[in-house]
Amino acid sequence: MKKSFLIPSLTILGLLFIQGTTKNVSVTETELHALAPDMPANVKAVVEQKCYGCHNAESKNEKGKAKLDWDAFEATKKSKQMATMAKINETLGKGDMPPAKFLENKPEGKLSESDLATLMEWSAGKKKDK
Amino acid sequence: MKLWQYILLGLAVVFIGIQFVPNELPAVNTNNPGDLVLNGLVSEEISTMLKTSCYSCHSNETVYPWYSYVAPSSWLVDKDVREAREEVNFSDWMDYDMMDKLKILDDIAIEVKEGRMPMEIYTLMHSSAKLDDAQRAKIVAWAEETMDIVAEEEDEED
Repeated sequence: MKKSFLIPSLTILGLLFIQGTTKNVSVTETELHALAPDMPANVKAVVEQKCYGCHNAESKNEKGKAKLDWDAFEATKKSKQMATMAKINETLGKGDMPPAKFLENKPEGKLSESDLATLMEWSAGKKKDK
Repeated sequence: MKLWQYILLGLAVVFIGIQFVPNELPAVNTNNPGDLVLNGLVSEEISTMLKTSCYSCHSNETVYPWYSYVAPSSWLVDKDVREAREEVNFSDWMDYDMMDKLKILDDIAIEVKEGRMPMEIYTLMHSSAKLDDAQRAKIVAWAEETMDIVAEEEDEED
């Protein structure tokens, strides 16, 4: 019986140390972190700002939701995630996203050069900095 | 001559005329060492289904029917085969990198599950290429399993 207390108490003890190293993160960052813990912060920031508006589970843009749903992304298996990344890479490479029609009404939604570079590098999938 | 005779004659002239429009169908090559089915990812059963229902467009082993040599249907065949091979050419499987393989397998699962492939215009002319629900389910399951295998293989190489 004593063993069953060991793990929880160790966890609590561990948490005390983790608290000491926690950085201040903005609300949006924390939200997306829950969605996709493996994604680099700079990628998440672009996705949150430029993609998530249409590509989410509650999206009214049915086509956008069907093609890519960031809320579902994290829950899918790794190989499926990589397949999705490859498709993102292809679509962005062709300059098809965000759609030209969408940008007519919302020109600020355009990906900046650095946004695009960030997404392209991440979605290429090869580089794993460890 | 009556009007309908003129029209018929005109159509005949146009039909003969368009036969001289150059149209080079994508080449057929049956020697493809990098082919998907030769590289251990496909069971006999899946391989037969892929060959029957997909390979005529999505590989270098296209079997051209007679109407692919007659305009204007030849233009359609040319365009479809060209585009199909660009999307995925199973004959060149080993030339794809891991990300492309995953993308293709995921697309296979989606397209076959939703009944968009093989295309209706193709199965209309080639009824043997039709897939029933059980066959579709098998191809989808194969594609999804193979995605994990492909991703793991790459991890081992790293």
